[in-house]
Amino acid sequence: MALDNEKSPQRAESYFAEDPAAADRAFFGRVAHRDRRGFLRGAGLATMTAMIGTAIPFHRNMPQGLIPAAFASDDVLFGKDGLTLLNDRPVNAETPPHLLDDAITPTDRHFIRNNGQVPDDMSAEGWTLTIDGMVDNPMTLSIADLREQFEVVTMALTIECGGNGRAFFDPPASGNQWTYGAVACSEWTGVRLRDVLEKAGVQDGVVYTAHVGADTHLSGDPDKLPISRGLPIDKALTDTVLIAFGMNGTDLHPMNGAPLRLVVPGWPGSCSQKWLTRIWLRDQVHDGPKMTGTSYRVPNRPVSPGEEVDKADFDIMERMPVKSLITFPENNATAGGSTEVRGHAWSGDRWITALDISIDFGATWTRAELDAPVNEGAWQNWRTTVEFPQAGYYEVWARATDSAGAMQPFAIDWNPKGYLNNTMHRVALRAS
Amino acid sequence: MMRTASAALVACSLLAGPALADEYGVLFEAEGVEETYYNCAGCHSERLVAQQGMTRERWDSLLDWMVEEQGMAELIPEERTVILDYLATHYNTDRPNFPR
Repeated sequence: MALDNEKSPQRAESYFAEDPAAADRAFFGRVAHRDRRGFLRGAGLATMTAMIGTAIPFHRNMPQGLIPAAFASDDVLFGKDGLTLLNDRPVNAETPPHLLDDAITPTDRHFIRNNGQVPDDMSAEGWTLTIDGMVDNPMTLSIADLREQFEVVTMALTIECGGNGRAFFDPPASGNQWTYGAVACSEWTGVRLRDVLEKAGVQDGVVYTAHVGADTHLSGDPDKLPISRGLPIDKALTDTVLIAFGMNGTDLHPMNGAPLRLVVPGWPGSCSQKWLTRIWLRDQVHDGPKMTGTSYRVPNRPVSPGEEVDKADFDIMERMPVKSLITFPENNATAGGSTEVRGHAWSGDRWITALDISIDFGATWTRAELDAPVNEGAWQNWRTTVEFPQAGYYEVWARATDSAGAMQPFAIDWNPKGYLNNTMHRVALRAS
Repeated sequence: MMRTASAALVACSLLAGPALADEYGVLFEAEGVEETYYNCAGCHSERLVAQQGMTRERWDSLLDWMVEEQGMAELIPEERTVILDYLATHYNTDRPNFPR
């Protein structure tokens, strides 16, 4: 059976056995004490505790590289906490909204969207990034070179999958059926793509970047890339696009692109190539896998649900639309006479100017308290308190408005591939 | 060299093993499930199949795309018919077997 070698438990175990320190760090952010037990200054303990779901009283004794027996039976999402698995080959998993409550998304709650098989080697040592194509000075840089030659910055940046919300399309659209949680705003550390491209020397006539990662095609064909997308050169030269080697103060999670990836806030997540090995500059719109056909494209005009649209009538998606999420309370929670309601809001290349809440099915709205983004490209946190006039069933609706005056709709702007669903998030509440 | 990748994958698979006790994973058991499973799950999880809800015509063009763009081997016509019958019956737009 084709699945046999993929399912062999020996491979994970041998990784932990051969290099327990690296495996611990990659999966849990864990560093052991010098005696190879415990969690040095607590590194990784919170992650492992969250994954197990309770405290570990004897954690100081726990050997380095020990895979907790609790994981051996039913958790396919190593190093992740509470994600919903949509697909296990390639791995795709999203985070339930109430687990996205943190202002900065912890690594164990960052969604996973893979197109291919993860690379065999994800060690930072020996990793290189090549910059070539239409540049004056083609370069091949190690991660140490990036750190030494360019300004290192840390920014909170929002990444949302272009297909987030696809599950609600009717007729259904094909692809992973994301509901709400293919979005996150973690802290990323790296260098600006702009600085690297400027050092390489962007030649006249460059139209687009083209990104290549080390992940491999599902078919096993070594000549096929699973995905290779790019950016218009003007977007690539903005100052929030990072080549990132750090996530929330430590290494990238293997499923989030370790050891090096692009982070392009506010644009479809597929622009943020993971396991990044090469960026080449081109004098045409990049035509790599998932740039062409109908991938990450929407019709150039409004269409009716279910309409067949000619391939020639599709445009490449760029910025993601205005959107918000209610992260507290959880859907179907119970409340007393009042409750705090809070969440995040974002809009690609823009900022949020207002966040309004309704508890009466959209008849009236009240404005929530809204924070400025911690930096450009980060989502904005908001909160308010709602009072219920009497016991019963309520829905809290959240509606963001952005700096261009665009507002979230109630109904889906249907498109054949199920992209860009930015409809209002509704949360059911039973007041007592 | 192999270790990290394998670890990530295997961590997944290791943990996923017992969940796949059913011979055809999460796919609805009916005529055509075997052909569907073995032709699709060679490359990707059958979960990706089970999430979809499409008309026969759209399943048909998706199979074309798999062959033209994604490196799937051509199906023999009889087998393709069996698979399309299965998908159009159990994974149509009314989503009778949506996994969640």
